[in-house]
Amino acid sequence: MDAVPAAVSSSASSAIAAPPAQALRRAVRPEPQDLHPALWLGHQLGRAGGEGVPSGFAELDAQLPGRGWPRRTLTELLLPHPGVGEIRLLAPSLGAAQRAGRLVMLFDPPAQLSAWALVQLGLDVGQLLVVQTRQRLLPGSDSLWAFEQALRSGHVGALVAWLPPRLRAERLRRLQLAAQAHDGAAFVMRELAAAQRPSAAPLRLALRAAGPDVLALRVLKRRGPPLESPITLALPPVLSEAAHARRRAERMASVPSLAVATFVDLG
Amino acid sequence: MLWIALHLPLLSLEAFAATLAHGQADAPLALVDAHHVAAANAAAQALGVEPGQKRATALALAPDLLIGQADATRDAAALAAVAHAALAFTPSVCVQPALEAPRSADTVLLEVRASLRCFGGLAALLQRLREAVTPLGHRVQAASAPTPLGAALLARGPRRMHVQERAALQRALDALPPWLLGPGREHWEALQGMGLATLADLRRLPRAGLARRFGTALLAELDRAYGERPDPRVPITLPPRFDSRLELFARADSAEQVLHASSMLLARLASWLAAQHAFVRGFRLAMLHEPRWRHDAQVPPQTVLEVALAEPSRDPAHLQVLLRERLVQLRLPAPTLELRLSATEIVPGEAPSGELFPSAASEREGLVRLVERLQARLGAGQVQTLQPVHDHRPERASRLEPAQPARLGQRRSAPDAPAVPLRPVWLLAPPEPLAVRGGQPLLDGRALQLLSGPERIEAGWWDHELAERDYFIAEDAGGALVWLYRSRLPGGEGSGWYLHGRFA
Repeated sequence: MDAVPAAVSSSASSAIAAPPAQALRRAVRPEPQDLHPALWLGHQLGRAGGEGVPSGFAELDAQLPGRGWPRRTLTELLLPHPGVGEIRLLAPSLGAAQRAGRLVMLFDPPAQLSAWALVQLGLDVGQLLVVQTRQRLLPGSDSLWAFEQALRSGHVGALVAWLPPRLRAERLRRLQLAAQAHDGAAFVMRELAAAQRPSAAPLRLALRAAGPDVLALRVLKRRGPPLESPITLALPPVLSEAAHARRRAERMASVPSLAVATFVDLG
Repeated sequence: MLWIALHLPLLSLEAFAATLAHGQADAPLALVDAHHVAAANAAAQALGVEPGQKRATALALAPDLLIGQADATRDAAALAAVAHAALAFTPSVCVQPALEAPRSADTVLLEVRASLRCFGGLAALLQRLREAVTPLGHRVQAASAPTPLGAALLARGPRRMHVQERAALQRALDALPPWLLGPGREHWEALQGMGLATLADLRRLPRAGLARRFGTALLAELDRAYGERPDPRVPITLPPRFDSRLELFARADSAEQVLHASSMLLARLASWLAAQHAFVRGFRLAMLHEPRWRHDAQVPPQTVLEVALAEPSRDPAHLQVLLRERLVQLRLPAPTLELRLSATEIVPGEAPSGELFPSAASEREGLVRLVERLQARLGAGQVQTLQPVHDHRPERASRLEPAQPARLGQRRSAPDAPAVPLRPVWLLAPPEPLAVRGGQPLLDGRALQLLSGPERIEAGWWDHELAERDYFIAEDAGGALVWLYRSRLPGGEGSGWYLHGRFA
């Protein structure tokens, strides 16, 4: 530590003004965040996991500890139902993992996947594995075994798992421990009711659709100060610009919605 | 010439312990041959059991003693596995014959002069050799010397030495007791009575008298050990097929017990593969059932488990993991008494490079193993890849296929994204019929607001799966976007509104 001799010399020069011991204490006290990467002040964002995986959304990265999705831990996303924009939220980071030559694995997706939609979102379906664990449950085994194995192996680029409802906290903690071997983002999708229960995941977000192609994220837990207002993200649009404009106009005028028989321009 | 001798002082006991159930190996064990104790392990010797005692005496001393029959073929199979492990380092490997008739051979000899440079010197070679033999679970005493018999004697002796020069060998051998020599053993008492405590004392005697009194075999052995007489050896050859069996001491009823016993067979397989410079792509474990159960027509004589690997391997830990996943799913119809392991498919391969840092190749290998494990437990069809298919009907535009681990990580040209509006990621299979109120489709009792559409998809007249639909994008009450269609098929059946996808 070369900071200490410097402090001593400065206190010696100002020895007349203040008692030396007190001056020394004031001069050498470092900021807690400089001591260890796991320390941070309450108003700061933590940096425990090092650099995160960029999420592809600058507004979101600014609010996440590590400026991105955390590595080596679980990230919990709570959804009211599948289909609020969760894949469009994750697609940039999953696609980046695939472009780095690594594999993406999905565990128990809640519905049939459309390959072309994933291609449109910039994912490489050749670098994607889908694991179904709940179709054939072995006696005495649990459906999280496969997810845990994949986390533990550390050879997968990114993982997304749809967890069974009403999962016990200790099972999640076990997964969180396994995730320490996984150098990349790992997402678990859970039902919204799980927000009331404790969880081992260091980052928890509740997702909600806030209108077409807009996603609202409420930060339930992060390493950093609580965030009161939700983050709203503009997702890759499904609707054309014209359809958006028409919807806005309809909302303003509160005219009856589009009649079925009218054929509208696809834009 | 430089010979390394690997002496296995506890070979018979360790070969017997491999047939025991898990946890029994530390109990007092003894091997009995012709009603006399032939060998006893440390736990038994602590209770006073010693080789040479009668069986009844040993049982009186230690009532809990586990007594097995000495079995020369079992010992020979265990020693052959050690010899196979050694064959990975040099082609000239031979087995030193046993000292006296009833004992089984317990020393393997390797001529390594030509291999030293390849493996980076004697110390590095010995280290590699020890690592190769360790999975077989034997205690090994190693020594090296310029003559094969000299190395064997040094390995058996009280102090293991590594000598490279004839003069040093002579000094090392001079200090050894004469009972280590095979032919001198029956005269051991006489030799001791004559005050001959070391081989040096023996060599100092007149040769003619020694030959007359103890036979020429003793002198010949002495000369061979000191390198004064040629000692030709016949190297062993590797059997072209691997087939190893293990008779269990106690019957195994559970997968866990079978797995414990088969770990020894897998270690033997790994050393055979290392000698063959090959990898295994498939192996077969046959579990022979107890003959008592065979009267029952329901019970087959054996249960066979075939394990196929996507990527050839010779790592015993990986093979064991695959076997474990298969075994826990298997229900044994009857307890098993004997295991047979054979390699069904062998792939010649190059030696793996020991990498310091993880590379793309090692990551790919780890991934292949992960997928193999998942498939072994969940079933091959549960780990799937997604394939885009050129079809206008959304439900037919994707296909899930069982993943092929061997083809993982191969870059394929990604299909170009079609120039259609963004499709929903989640598709409902089958599409969910929607209630209608006033001509408007409802989802969960609340009106859907149509935002875009229709997009007409009309396809499938050629395969009798006709789809005539007008697709709309709508916003549900929560603000999320859904994909729904109105079927245009004429007639009541199948017409109406359907929810087909959700934009995730």
